[in-house]
Amino acid sequence: MFLAYFLQTGQEYFNVANLYKEVFMKVGIPKGLLYENYQPFFHTFFEELGAELIVSPDTNKDILDKGVKYCVDEACLPVKVFHGHVASIKDKCDLIVIPRIMQLRKREFICPKFCGLPEMVISSIPEMPDTTLEPIYAASNEKLFQWAKVTGKQVTNNRSRIQKAFEAAVENQANHKMGFDDRDTKLKVALSGHPYNIYDNYLNMNLIRKLKKLGVGVVTEEFIDDEIKDRETSKLYKKPFWSFARNNYAFTSHAASKGIVNGIIYISSFACGIDSVVIDLVQHNIGDFPLLVLKIDEHTGEAGLDTRIEAFVDMLERRSS
Amino acid sequence: MYYLGVDVGSVSTDLVLLNQNKQVVEKLYLRTKGKPIAAVQEGFRMLKNKYGNSEILAAGTTGSGRQIASTLIGADAVKNEITAHAVAALDTDGDVRTIIEIGGQDSKIIVLKNGIVTDFAMNTVCAAGTGSFLDRQAERLEIPIEAFGDYALKANSYVRIAGRCAVFAESDMIHKQQLGYNEGEIIRGLCHALVRNYLNNVAKGKEIKDKIFFQGGVAANKGMKAAFEESLGIQVVIPEHYNMMGAIGAAIIAKEKVEKAGKTNFKGFDLADSVFQSKSFECEGCSNGCEVVNIQENENVIGCFGDRCGKWGSKLAM
Repeated sequence: MFLAYFLQTGQEYFNVANLYKEVFMKVGIPKGLLYENYQPFFHTFFEELGAELIVSPDTNKDILDKGVKYCVDEACLPVKVFHGHVASIKDKCDLIVIPRIMQLRKREFICPKFCGLPEMVISSIPEMPDTTLEPIYAASNEKLFQWAKVTGKQVTNNRSRIQKAFEAAVENQANHKMGFDDRDTKLKVALSGHPYNIYDNYLNMNLIRKLKKLGVGVVTEEFIDDEIKDRETSKLYKKPFWSFARNNYAFTSHAASKGIVNGIIYISSFACGIDSVVIDLVQHNIGDFPLLVLKIDEHTGEAGLDTRIEAFVDMLERRSS
Repeated sequence: MYYLGVDVGSVSTDLVLLNQNKQVVEKLYLRTKGKPIAAVQEGFRMLKNKYGNSEILAAGTTGSGRQIASTLIGADAVKNEITAHAVAALDTDGDVRTIIEIGGQDSKIIVLKNGIVTDFAMNTVCAAGTGSFLDRQAERLEIPIEAFGDYALKANSYVRIAGRCAVFAESDMIHKQQLGYNEGEIIRGLCHALVRNYLNNVAKGKEIKDKIFFQGGVAANKGMKAAFEESLGIQVVIPEHYNMMGAIGAAIIAKEKVEKAGKTNFKGFDLADSVFQSKSFECEGCSNGCEVVNIQENENVIGCFGDRCGKWGSKLAM
């Protein structure tokens, strides 16, 4: 009888603890790196688990400064900025989501900085709360669920709730649409590069708005379907190792050869290893099709960027008339 | 009747006046010294006594300080340096196919075909090989920058200097000096290093075709011209107004613009006597915290720069 009593109260005790965990768990989501791409997934998953979400603000000067301060110097700007996002919310949450994204498609990988992202952040930023650590293999839902199982446990012990949250997250993610498609504009460019450089308006100094102000439409890789991408990359001597290399190579190749745009703008973070290879491949592939490579780093002076964009647009206008 | 072109660069501020046949009648080459407003004012002071305001039919600006200069003088055209340089070069000689332009802070290559720009590139994040770097080395060697080219030409051989990075190049030069090479050989080596860096970095993958124009302040350096010719095996032409090409281009573009628009916005030379003040503050409107610069002429705000959202900049209809 004693044992039964213990089991019962023990059970209750754990349930209360669980309840406490769920109601008061504050989960921080940094708005850096691939946040824009997978925002519905992470938001839905943690919301469905009953956590309160603390999302960092859009990248701003303070976040950039914090990122540069904490992050190791050799990292690229987007990784530094990610550190800044973490630092901006770390004191407000119990758990910070640091997606260790390993894989998005089968037999392809993404930048090695992502593999060690949690360790990099934890060792650089002092007084960090708990973080997610489980790697993300998103090539299939089964593999992705492995992440959800382990990570969900950091928020709740309720397995069926994790399962349901995961399903809802996957569903919401599937409806997520990104990208620009101004193919019907007279003058338009293919905007290529890693998504975090394209979609972070602070990092790229409002590039898209600047282009639109000059009357130039923007087309991004989201409008090229997988079949075309496979066909374009099959011309390479080897299957691309990185997912973003595949996307950007295939997109620029298709955009140039089919003439769906007047020129290509490739936006790249200074010292990006993947881009150093991809840009060369792209240049080699498209021949004399207009290409402008924009390198972004910490500088906030916009004159250099403006000069390049304006000159490129002048050139496209004159070429097309 | 004249057309005014102003090129506010990092190192120099250049002003030209073109006559109606687009010939240069006046040119001023001034050091910017980090004070673009003062440099433009200085130029205007020199022009003021010789020319009347109504004699200026159009005004154009270019260079990294083109926005501020435009606000100041009331420009009809504000153009980037690439287009301005290309326009000026083509006006000088319609057969130009390649423009090598090396300025104070940046270097560019412009590829032309049938009179239009078909490709261009600028240096990325490193300023090795630009005018500022040469300036600094001249200072360090205690040789006036004007004489740099002559030293290079006098040397019979040259030493190899790392040209990829300004810091490495400098330490390499110091090493070679310590080993006892003479200045000429080192300077000639430096010219070769800069040309190598330019060709491998800025001009990478670009077809360099005859006729080549070499312009921008660094074209004054005969050693650089010789090093380019040696590396490319093609003659390199330095146009007469090589250090004014940006300003000339801006004037021509302004001329074309005003011919369409009918009238000029030029404010006149009197700004030479105005008191300009620039104040900067951090905008607190949002988390971006932009550093906004506010330019005042005789205590009237004439322009704001530096805000990302346009909150300050767009308030003043220019």
